Amino acid sequence: MKRPAAVLTGLGVVGAHGIGRASLQAALLAGRPIASEVDRSAGYHAADSSRLAGLVPKLDLARWLPPAEARRLSVPSRFAVAAARMALEDAGIASLDGRRVAVVLATAFGALLFTEKLVRQILEEGPESAQPFYFSECVANAAAARVAIALGARGANVTITEREAGPLLALARGAQEVREGRADLAIAGSADEMTELLHALLDRFRGTARAEGGREEAPRPFDAARNGVLAGEGAAVVVIEREDDAAARGARFLARVAVSGAAFDATAPVSDWGDGHTTLARALRAALARAGHGAETIDLIVSCASGARRGDRLEAATLAAAWGEARLPPVVTPKAVVGEYGGGLLAAAVLAAEGVPFGRPLAFETRDPSLSIAPHDGRPLAAPSRVLITALAAGGAAAWAVLERP
Amino acid sequence: MPGVDRGFPRPLDIVVTGLGAVTPFGWGVNALWDGARRGITAVGPFTRFDASRHRTHVAGQVPAGDDGKESSRRLSVADRFAVASAREAVASACLDLDSCRERTGVFFGSSAGGMLEGEWFFEAHIHRGTRHARRGLVASQQFNGPGDAVARAMGVSGQVETISSACASAAMAVGSALRALRRGDVDVALAGGSDALCQLTYGGFNALRSIDEAPSRPFRKDRMGLSLGEGAGVLVLETAAHAMARGAQPIAMLAGEASTCDAHHMTAPHPDGSGASSAIRLALLDAGVAPDDVDFVNAHGTGTPLNDAAEAAALKTVFGDRARSIPVTSTKALIGHLLGSAGAVEAVLTVLGLLLREVHPMPDTGALDPELGLDLVLGTPRALSRAACAISTSLAFGGANSVLVFTRQETA
Repeated sequence: MKRPAAVLTGLGVVGAHGIGRASLQAALLAGRPIASEVDRSAGYHAADSSRLAGLVPKLDLARWLPPAEARRLSVPSRFAVAAARMALEDAGIASLDGRRVAVVLATAFGALLFTEKLVRQILEEGPESAQPFYFSECVANAAAARVAIALGARGANVTITEREAGPLLALARGAQEVREGRADLAIAGSADEMTELLHALLDRFRGTARAEGGREEAPRPFDAARNGVLAGEGAAVVVIEREDDAAARGARFLARVAVSGAAFDATAPVSDWGDGHTTLARALRAALARAGHGAETIDLIVSCASGARRGDRLEAATLAAAWGEARLPPVVTPKAVVGEYGGGLLAAAVLAAEGVPFGRPLAFETRDPSLSIAPHDGRPLAAPSRVLITALAAGGAAAWAVLERP
Repeated sequence: MPGVDRGFPRPLDIVVTGLGAVTPFGWGVNALWDGARRGITAVGPFTRFDASRHRTHVAGQVPAGDDGKESSRRLSVADRFAVASAREAVASACLDLDSCRERTGVFFGSSAGGMLEGEWFFEAHIHRGTRHARRGLVASQQFNGPGDAVARAMGVSGQVETISSACASAAMAVGSALRALRRGDVDVALAGGSDALCQLTYGGFNALRSIDEAPSRPFRKDRMGLSLGEGAGVLVLETAAHAMARGAQPIAMLAGEASTCDAHHMTAPHPDGSGASSAIRLALLDAGVAPDDVDFVNAHGTGTPLNDAAEAAALKTVFGDRARSIPVTSTKALIGHLLGSAGAVEAVLTVLGLLLREVHPMPDTGALDPELGLDLVLGTPRALSRAACAISTSLAFGGANSVLVFTRQETA
């Protein structure tokens, strides 16, 4: 029996660009990395470390999250609850019967600030100093639980933690919840925070971009001089419904979830990307084929390329192998603007599926001759019919999704 | 495992063909089953970290074991448990992964990942400065560490998904594997979970006053809280068609699963157990079995006053008067609460209970709680006259509930 289609009907996003889809859209069109100076006062950073991150500015989230409610929440929980309420409003849903509402959120690192505070309390001051509030908010599923409590969502409540692949795995799981009839509506997405400690650790793994060779510090996906990511934070949440249900209530469709697939690159070390592009390309082609699509039906790729040296190489090689002799469609790289983590890729992909234009990534200078791919140069494109989103995680996990115009 | 007649599933069923476990009873499924049958708790003083300044001083620690080449690699403690369990499960399934690497996925739960090693990093940072804190310690701290380590060690390249939904992580991961197999996303799944003791969870649960100073006494009148433990469990799940094609003998079927959320409170279950009862009902519906078909319950049974009361209420809601006569056991009474891997180890024991027609006991200590009205298996194993269906419940922080239904065809 053919499963019903799952459609996205709402998007909520909080990021370095600000609150909501309009600010993200403007940022993607401008093509400039949204970066600000990281606090390095705690002494975690090396003297020559990267200095920038895609930090969420001090935003007034009160419309989405009253201060009294925010007070009890960790940063990722705040982002997630605000984005979830925003997504519901975007979907035109004023009141929600939560009995059959699923929540599926991804997080790469969870509520790290509270985790750090709790560990420090235990190790420095002694376990008797540990505050229960920090503990209950530092579990990885705190954000998903807070969203469920805020919305009264009593369907499945799942937190997926596969680093950079997590948001697409969450999107897939959310779509499955409604397609398989386990929920009537799913709230899916991801939430993360970028702390001083995490930024310093990513830097120690040489994961973050640095100023080098006269170039300013910036993420440069697919650039020959790329040397790391812009570490970001925020949340992106989509509302997923069965297409018939959404049509029946007269909802606006943002996109249909046409394909989801996942794989693993067993050649990857714990915190970097491997070289298993052949295997990943087979898995990507198989995922497209299972849905009855060939690579030739894709007319835009929203790539996970982030400026990571090995990550972008793996991404380029995987896409090249998946397309073979065929010509790749235009490839856009939203992480050049919004950075890594916080759901920016997922939100940008939804906008891309709606036909929102992407500007030239301003930090991109020189095509890497060893890669058969370069980011789209910003020229206007026809609104795509099918958008492939890619997500390759450090450590080996991989996920893909295709969003299509309903 | 002892040879027992096994049922014959249909091609579209999802079957269990292999089991692996590392628990406070030791390394391997046999150690787990033997220890569980004895009904004597493995929770006691431990050395995983210095607990002298903590409020309580007992936990279920995995004894030192020889996991061969894994121990020499840069794996976290939780990774080592995970990989050893996966190797045992694959071996017990007689599964040649070379024949199905790209069609094998890993679905894993972990609540803390390599937090223990993350704490070592912090200790070095605090006492000796950042530059002396080895960055590799933090690399293994990630939630996805154990699941990814399994995929890497086994060289599989199907979907890998880590679920970190606190105490329901592993049960949800097993449930997610079931769905992926039904959809045809993978043919084989290594499903389970792993967590190691660490100060964050030990100190955190103590801050909530949720840990008993003595080994936990789930469902007993004088229960004072949970005990923490560590370890891993892995199930090899396959489509029956795949298992039959390679001549594998199914141990049991994973017939159904469901997840719900209380949407009530971060650290307390809904007192009427409505989220849990809903998950049990939906899982039974998913499995196509009725409440009357359930022969025993491997309960979440943490030993906290609130959890056990809510869970008992949920069982009464679903099973009615039968709740008083269905054998109920709690693995956590024996090895502690394994958090993100609890659901996996408890699933392993649920499958073994069906296979060997026996429910493992809990220690027979403390007075019964007459208000709960459950048929607890105490002291000695309970032989089953019928062993066709059992459920395993996992009820987590944040109100996340996950229930697994295992079945096994009764042989004449």
